[in-house]
Parts: sequence; structure tokens; C-alpha cells
Amino acid sequence: MNKLAATALSLAAVVTLAIATPARAEDKILGVVASIQLASDGNSAVAVLKDSKAGTSVPIAVEDKVTLDKFKDHRISVGDEIKCKYEKQGDKNVATFFKKPGGC
Amino acid sequence: MKSLPLAFLAAALAGAPSARAAETPPAGSPAPAAKPSPHASLMDGYQGPATCEKCHAGVARAFLDTVHWKHASKVTNVDGLDPKVEYGMKNRIYTFCNGNDVVNDLKQIPQNSLGKTKITGCNACHPGNHLQDVGSTGKEAESAIDCLICHSSKYDLSKRKPFKTPDGRFAIGQDRSVEAAAAVGKPGVKNCMSCHESAGGGQLIKRGFAFDAEHDVHAKKDMTCVDCHEAKGHKIPTGFDPNNWANDGLRLSCAGCHGEKPHNDADYDAHTARIACQTCHIPTTGGAVAKDFTRWTKDEATGFWEPTTIRRDPASTRPVYAWFNGSVENTPHRIGPKGSRQDAKSRITPFKLYQGRAFYDAKSGKLLSMDFAPPTATGDTLAGVASAARTLGIKDYKPVPGWQTIYFANSHLVTKEKALSCDRCHVADGVLPFEQLGYPKAEIEKRKLRSAELWFDRLSAKERKKDDF
Repeated sequence: MNKLAATALSLAAVVTLAIATPARAEDKILGVVASIQLASDGNSAVAVLKDSKAGTSVPIAVEDKVTLDKFKDHRISVGDEIKCKYEKQGDKNVATFFKKPGGC
Repeated sequence: MKSLPLAFLAAALAGAPSARAAETPPAGSPAPAAKPSPHASLMDGYQGPATCEKCHAGVARAFLDTVHWKHASKVTNVDGLDPKVEYGMKNRIYTFCNGNDVVNDLKQIPQNSLGKTKITGCNACHPGNHLQDVGSTGKEAESAIDCLICHSSKYDLSKRKPFKTPDGRFAIGQDRSVEAAAAVGKPGVKNCMSCHESAGGGQLIKRGFAFDAEHDVHAKKDMTCVDCHEAKGHKIPTGFDPNNWANDGLRLSCAGCHGEKPHNDADYDAHTARIACQTCHIPTTGGAVAKDFTRWTKDEATGFWEPTTIRRDPASTRPVYAWFNGSVENTPHRIGPKGSRQDAKSRITPFKLYQGRAFYDAKSGKLLSMDFAPPTATGDTLAGVASAARTLGIKDYKPVPGWQTIYFANSHLVTKEKALSCDRCHVADGVLPFEQLGYPKAEIEKRKLRSAELWFDRLSAKERKKDDF
């Protein structure tokens, strides 16, 4: 019985691992906003950040309401330095964190 | 806040049918001509307060006498202050900010380890342009007022950035576009939050109050800050707060709108004489709970340093409770509420408890302040203390670290649905520390202050009524 239980458990573990969604790797970037393109419906935007270290330009899809609001009233605008974390979802880099560094 | 007859207020809020009928023309009649906007003349150009004063004469001069402009006022409810001196963000020395407009004046930060610099200072949050600074007076000061930062719903905040002028002074930009000027009205929540949300070093640091539908019942009803903080001549009414000293001399309270007996329940109404509304209706708090100005933390990404801060999300922590009659104890190591059970003016009130560490002068025992520029660049906090001391003319001092406890009033994040009910306080280990609040053990037992016997029948009757269909 013990052998049967152990086999069943192993099988269950293998199945779980096989169907589990892999955790998405998160990248981060400190960069300056080079451009902000708001969608016509205002529900998303693409901000291009120029990576302060690598010098490359990274397009970031922004979908959270708070950040979109900051784009609309220019609390965040071109030239601002931004700390951004993002996940690769298909061919998009989707922001999970998009803020100006803090401080007075 | 002015109290209105309830019937009138209810009608106004509901949109009384008679008011609506007056706005709707009879069927078949031509649409009435659109009334010209009172601000249509602004489309010809906006020259700052001079344009506003064409209709709102005298307002700029009056504004210079408000806390928003002066960042200070006479303070009558705090121990140990000189009644002839004005206090506020302009000059206070305490451990939530540890800088102020004087010692932490807008300036360029020295280059940090990554070669970066920025222009920053406490008075970046001021409705002027810094060339006319906190508390300045005269015609030039009047002309520098940024009316639109509060009054425009289309203000471009990217224009409100500090910069260096050709003659080497530091200024703050303003949006004086026609587009911003044409969108004037009463301040919206965003107008206030452009400064008040980021006080103390970042978003939601100071009070952790996210004024949104999720966290506050007033926000859920689309109310704005000025619906409660209704200005009179730009003087803003405020509540009593051990942490906030400067005030425009006008006070507001929940009772101003809701009355002294606001519940449809005699048992709850019986509490209002000795329990502040906030105690039941704001059972949580948030924002920074501690900061250390003696040891700053480096942001490796930007190279800038900031005070080491322990942050908490909005509505994520529990307040502490104390008797408060509106007056404030002010000592080098404690800024907190005064009051007692024996004092009829005192009510049990919730506070966010905050601990700040900063440098004290070992010789005088007084708290020292800090110019943020040196430590922001290098983390050298003693250099910041030295710079502030030079500004204030303090020569003989010996800085040693020490702690200060500050009680913050907890007056936002109001809830109706999640308000405390009887079973939260009148139980063993309930929300209120009865003994600490001056209720002897014998009285607690005699009055059953911790017994379900006090509330079980009443609460179950309420619940039966809720379920009854």
C-alpha cells in the first residue's frame, strides 16, 4: 500500500509541475521617459524609457489606471526619470511598477 | 463648516425636482442659448493673478495672509510656543521632516556618486515661484501666486518643475497657459493631492490616506477635499492635529455636517460626547510609522540617499487611542494629545503613532534640524545638521541621536460599512485599552464594559431587522 501511495504522490507531483504556469521573470530598469503614447481610449499607453545604464530604448506597456492618470495630467512626462519593473507578456513589456524615485 | 438645515442639504444633494424642473425647458421649445462661460475672457490670454483679479479683486492680497502662502501661523493650542511667533512648515523643527523651508530651502543638490544632481527643497510645495517665496509680501508676491495649481482641472504638472534662472536663482515653473486658465473652478481632489499626497518624502508617506472610493466613504460619494475643507477667503478650515500646528484660524469637525447625534441609533449617539467620530469610523491608519534622519539609505539605482523610512500601506495599521481636547503637548521627545477622562472637553480619539530619530543637541537638549542637500547626495547626515546650524546661526552644539514620538490625527479613510461596532470594543482585549484610558478595573466590571451582555441583544435585534424580508 505504501508503495502505491508513494507512486500516486509522485505521479501527482509530476502532473502538477507539468501543468503549472511558469513564473514570469521580472526585469527592471531605471530610465528616462523618451516618449509617451496614450491609446485613443485612454486605457493603455506605451512609454519608451531610455535605460540609464545600457543606453537602449525600451518600450513599456502601461495598463494601470494610476499611472495612466499621471500621464494624462503630466505628473509623469517626457524627461522624467522612472523606476520600472516589467514582465514580458508575448511581444509586450508590461509594467508591474512604474514610478518616479521618491524623495522630497 | 457651516451647518445647513438638513432638509435643504438633502434636497441639494439629491437634486431637488424643483431645481431640475427650472433647468429643463418645456418640450418643443428651442434649446436655450448656451450661457457664456464666466472665464471666456481668459481665452484672450492669461497673465497670472492679474487676470483673475479683474473679477476677483483683492483675492491675491488676501491669499498672502493664508497658511498656504506663509506655511506658518500663530498657534494657540500647542505648549511652549511664543504666542507672537508664527510656526509651521516654514520653521518647525521636528522629526517627521526634520528639514523646513528655512534650512532646506530649494537648492541644487551636490553631485552624487553617479554624477547626478537635482533641484529640491521643502518649499517646492508652495503656490509661488520661489523667487517670491514662502511668506513674501507686496505686489510682486501677489503676481507670483499660482492660482491655477489649485483651481485648474487642466493644469500641466510637468510645467511645475524647479529650474535655475539665468542669474543663478532657483525658481519653480507654473502653467499659465490659456488652456489651464480656461478650465478653472473649485479645486478637485487632484489639485490638492498634487502637494498633499506627497508630503514627507513620497506618495502616501505622511498620512497614508488614499482619498479614493476604495478607502474613504466621502470619496466614494464623489466628494472632494473642499467639500469639507470649504475655504472662506482662501482660509482653509482644518481639524485639530497634534502634528499640524499652522492653521488659518478656522476649524472643522464631522459634526459640522453630520450633527452631534448623527446615528439612527440612541446607543451609538450616546457615545458621541466622549468618543470622537474617528474612533469608530476610521479604525485603521497607514503611512510612514518611523523614520531615521541620522542614517539615510542609498537608492543604488539613482545614487541619491533618503531618510530611512518604515512605510505602511493605507489602512494597514491600527491607530492608538488617547483622550484629546484639542491642545498639544510639545516636548523634545513627544508631540502628542493632551486631555483626560476628567476633562469634559476631551474625547477618545485615534492617532497614528510615529517614531522619528534625528540629532539632538546634547548641550541644550533641543532637537536640531537638517539641510537635506548634503545627505541627499552623500548620506552625510552630520553635514546636513551643520549646514542647517549655520543657516540658523547655531554655533555651539553637540549632535547626538535621539527619538521623538509624534501623534498624527487620523481623520481620513472614513468608513461606514467597516466602522467599529459594539463587539469590537466591549470585549476582552478589544480595540480600546480601557484601563489606560482611565477606567478602573472595578468600574469596567461593574459596567460590564468588556462583556457581550452589554450589546448581544441589541446587535442581534439589528441583525434580525437586516435579514427580515
